Amino acid sequence: MAEHAWILAAVPGIAFIVMAAFGRNLPRQGDWLAVLCATAIFALFFAVLANFLNLGGDSWPIQNSIEWTAIGDFELNMGIAVDPITMVMLAVITTVALMVNIFSVGYMKGEPRYWWYFAVLQLFVASMLMLVLADNLLLLYVAWELVGLSSFLLIGHYWERRSAVEAAKKAFITTRVGDVGLLIGIILFWEATGTFNILEITEHVKNGAIGDTRLFVTMMFILLGAMGKSAQLPFHVWLPDAMEGPTPVSALIHAATMVVAGVYLVARMLPVFELAGDALTVVMVVGLLTALFSGVVAFAQTDIKKVLAYSTVSQLGFMFVALGAGYASAGMFHLFTHAFFKALLFLGAGAVIIGTHHHQEMGQLGGLWRKMPITAATFLIGSLALAGLFPLAGFWSKDEILHAVEGQGTWAFFLLSIAAIMTAFYTARLFIRTFLGKPRDEEVASHTSEVSPVMTLPLVFLAFMSIVAGFFIFHDFGSALGFPGGFSEFVFLHYPSAFHVDWGLVGLSTVLFVVGTFGGAWLYWNGRLDRSTVLAEWQPKVYEMVQRKFYFDDLYQFLIDRVVLGFSYLVSWFDRFAVNDTGVDGSATMTGYTGFVLKHLQTGKVPNYAMAIAVGVVALTLISLAVGS
Amino acid sequence: MVPMENYLILSGILFSLGVYGVLARRNAVLVLMSVELMLNAVSLNFVAFSAYLDPDKATGIIFAVFVIAVAAAEVGLALAIVIRLFRNRSTANVDEAATMRW
Amino acid sequence: MDEAQGYVLVTALALPLLAAGVLLFVPGTQKMTARYFSAVIGAILLGLSVYVFLAYQASGDPLQMQLRWPWIENVGFLAENGISLHLGVDGISALLTLLTGVVAFAGTLIAWKLEYRAKDFFILFWILIAGVYGTFFSLDLFFFFFFYELAVVPLYLLIGIWGSTRKEYGAMKLTLMLVGGSVGIWIGIFAVVHQAGAGSFDLPTLWAAGQDGTITPDMQKIIFPFFVVGCGVLAGLWPLHTWSPDGHMSAPTSVSMVHAGVLMKLGAFGIIRLGIQLLPDGAEFWMPALLVLGTIGALYGAIAALTQRDFKLISGYSSVSHMGYVLIGLATLHEVGVSGAALQMFSHGVMTALVFLLIGALYDQAHTRDLSDFGGVAKVMPLWVIAYVMAGLANVGLPGLSGFTAEFHIFVGAFRTYPVFGGLAILAAAIAAAYMLRMFGVVFFGPLNPRWKELKDLSPLETVSAALLILSMLAMGLWWSPFTDRLANTVTSLPGVIS
Repeated sequence: MAEHAWILAAVPGIAFIVMAAFGRNLPRQGDWLAVLCATAIFALFFAVLANFLNLGGDSWPIQNSIEWTAIGDFELNMGIAVDPITMVMLAVITTVALMVNIFSVGYMKGEPRYWWYFAVLQLFVASMLMLVLADNLLLLYVAWELVGLSSFLLIGHYWERRSAVEAAKKAFITTRVGDVGLLIGIILFWEATGTFNILEITEHVKNGAIGDTRLFVTMMFILLGAMGKSAQLPFHVWLPDAMEGPTPVSALIHAATMVVAGVYLVARMLPVFELAGDALTVVMVVGLLTALFSGVVAFAQTDIKKVLAYSTVSQLGFMFVALGAGYASAGMFHLFTHAFFKALLFLGAGAVIIGTHHHQEMGQLGGLWRKMPITAATFLIGSLALAGLFPLAGFWSKDEILHAVEGQGTWAFFLLSIAAIMTAFYTARLFIRTFLGKPRDEEVASHTSEVSPVMTLPLVFLAFMSIVAGFFIFHDFGSALGFPGGFSEFVFLHYPSAFHVDWGLVGLSTVLFVVGTFGGAWLYWNGRLDRSTVLAEWQPKVYEMVQRKFYFDDLYQFLIDRVVLGFSYLVSWFDRFAVNDTGVDGSATMTGYTGFVLKHLQTGKVPNYAMAIAVGVVALTLISLAVGS
Repeated sequence: MVPMENYLILSGILFSLGVYGVLARRNAVLVLMSVELMLNAVSLNFVAFSAYLDPDKATGIIFAVFVIAVAAAEVGLALAIVIRLFRNRSTANVDEAATMRW
Repeated sequence: MDEAQGYVLVTALALPLLAAGVLLFVPGTQKMTARYFSAVIGAILLGLSVYVFLAYQASGDPLQMQLRWPWIENVGFLAENGISLHLGVDGISALLTLLTGVVAFAGTLIAWKLEYRAKDFFILFWILIAGVYGTFFSLDLFFFFFFYELAVVPLYLLIGIWGSTRKEYGAMKLTLMLVGGSVGIWIGIFAVVHQAGAGSFDLPTLWAAGQDGTITPDMQKIIFPFFVVGCGVLAGLWPLHTWSPDGHMSAPTSVSMVHAGVLMKLGAFGIIRLGIQLLPDGAEFWMPALLVLGTIGALYGAIAALTQRDFKLISGYSSVSHMGYVLIGLATLHEVGVSGAALQMFSHGVMTALVFLLIGALYDQAHTRDLSDFGGVAKVMPLWVIAYVMAGLANVGLPGLSGFTAEFHIFVGAFRTYPVFGGLAILAAAIAAAYMLRMFGVVFFGPLNPRWKELKDLSPLETVSAALLILSMLAMGLWWSPFTDRLANTVTSLPGVIS
């Protein structure tokens, strides 16, 4: 079964074709087909997992490939490779996809293009599964672009709204810039090793197939792709804007799966990164900067989804830091737990939006816990998991990352701790401002009601996962479920020893959580805004800078409008006036002018012509006589 | 037997007369007649060469026949044009017919 | 078998000429007869083209389905096989034959709605198509040039009579530039035949002469620019591309389709046939220059397309950009790069034909092509938008569509030989995303401009035509081994191509 894991991707792929072609005409526009498909791959995942575990660690990674094409020496194979990292990704994707599909049935009810939404969702799931199953970088790139396409289509789902179109465009083009790097990196790998297969590339690199500098450059290009997809600084601008899409999409694509593709890629290539000089340091610095930067920006956001988006960017930074420290298992573990609680938070935000009839500005919410108890309770669990409360999922994975960074020097550890405090702080702010206190807008509050079970059930399930997912780190928990051990032993890239609780670190993490949460509570408890307003008035410049996201978006806008488009105008002008009007039409004008001058030779009088002929004949005769003698 | 050079000299004289006529005359009919002189000079050359240099084959004679035939056609056409010219302009002076230029 | 298949080529070549001849005798008022007749001919040609492509054996000798009918020999300097109608296909021309069949059929269906002198249009159209087939099939230098010219000349009338927007200017410029290029080719042909000294226009004979040095390397270096500039004009080689935006802007829809879809490929095909195969030493010497021009073209076209306001100008510049890729692929002289160039010819052909089809469908109703006039068209023309998005994504090089397959091969070849230029080419692909998405955003999405509430979606004929082209794009994008397998032997057998 595990060697046929490609079926996982094929099922939603077929579902996409069927739904895109006939979805509109199916009963209920085919949403049941989507849920059925998601359930099927969820079940299939367990079949694959069982088989995978049965086969045992010696046969990992399980590979299956076919010859695709060959031109001379250029051979291409396509296939899948299933190893523990893939299994982790499969678990995340199938679970969250199922929850999101169910949730969407409630969320998207009555929305335009209902069938199309579900069809594209299946396309996304198919390509995402293909991405994690691919055994070679080319297939990975294909899937990489296809998830980008589905993301583009889903962000722009409400395309009547100009802002949604702009956001979709921004997402596609920004990630595309990173993808250029990825493609260059992939081809550079092929250039040096003659293969696209990831395992073979790793082998070749270990045998020294690529020189040091060259390897570093190649890895930087690969990293560029990862940074684009995972919204790392300076490519982060697209992710907050991507919140224009339907909220379940944000949960699936922009929190749990697609945006972690970059993390997955780096984790997958980690053995190569380790050989590439300072490449991992770069990864870590990028991660740290992103984690801090977006943690700060999240303070000043007022839209629930925007806060969550910056929080996602920040958490992705955490994962990059773990990878940069060389701990694939820590990064993957945070990816795993983060997928559940962040999907929960986004779906919770979706429930709020539906419950309040499309209000997502925190300034208009507040006190929702009375009206929406289930949503509030599950959202609380998700928030606490994100903030890192012992012993919820987020706590254990953040703990792992802090543990990983310990060996990397105090500065990294210190900065990451600050980022962790900020996480707790903005999470507290988010929860307090949305669910606690008194309603700030009675109009909104009077219409608010709890959402239907089809939406609360996924919330409850994900809340459950947010509690238990962290326990996978323990050896005994994993063994009891049939794994070879805890999470880090399963993903044994670097960390084959069993996990032991480091109580000192636990204490520190708890302190970080408490500081952040109570900082947030002190500022915002009970609908109080005065303290934060004082803060904003005290340093208005700083506050504005944070609110404007450190001017990143403005800078890019300026660059595109003035530099890129300006250059384009210049080229167009050059093409019209220099190449066409001067060069091409100019030569035509020259020809015409020459004719205008020479036409006067044409007198129209026959004797003149006859004379010319006679003179010509005589001249030619004389010349030939002269040359002949 | 008359040496070939005599024919060639006659032909040369005829041709030169023709050239002079074409260049010096203004009357279209006279120009045409001069052209005929040149053509006949050429035909004479063909026949002479054929008879003296390669008497077994009739190549030159055939060419001469072609020239005569084409010349007849040409004169027919040219005279028609001259008549049209005379009808329209009441003159056969070729200098008058100079509208066919830019 | 080979001989019998040769007759398929003869049929594909003669059928359009025959169709043009028959149409001469159809009264001009019988428009429906002309349309149905042309559609049938187009369908048969599509069938024949598909057959040629499928019957081409990937593992056999590169040149297949050969057939030779002697015409003029043993006269003057012409020896045995002086000029003969020598037909045959290799992997590249088999692929381009398929392209011609697809685009010509789609074009016939689109020409259906033409009312003004419909019969005359089809006559010229079929002469053009015959010229295209003839160029791809000819293994004789004389007939190669003959058919090449036969394909170019009807364009003048087709654009001049049925065009729009400054049609006289566009038609005149296009024809003069192309014919000017042909002069160079003509000179080159005589130089080559004279140098080879075999008294024959037979291409395989001449290829052998080019490869064994009978045509001296110095001479090859002199002749090569004549061919490449001559063919390059038609291929949109920068800076001789300016006929492309204007020509496309003024041409009627189905002519734009065939022109951008197939005719531009004749130029690139000529560079392979006359440049790489005939003059390997010249090619090796000049290819870096061609690479630079191709890269400039790829970037220049993409950047210029960013700020255009007219649909057709965007497509015209993007054609310049994509043909730049073809030239980059050829200039690598690397087996993967040259395969990529051939794939790109097919890919760009179907994609750009689709784009022009769609622009035509919109222009016929809206009578404007200014981007900023539109908005939210997806509301009223969903099929049209889906098809356009597919074409645009192929243009951008999205995996799963033909553009990616082709560009990927070109990039691989370029990185093996000239990495910096490979990087620049990839950059151009990123810019392509920007101009495509900009157009999507402005025209397709956003609130619907009430002025366009009455726009109608694609008609059934247009839908069939578009579906055929989309299918071709998907076929190459999703499962490209049938295409690359057929190219492999041919490409590796090209002289001077490295692995």
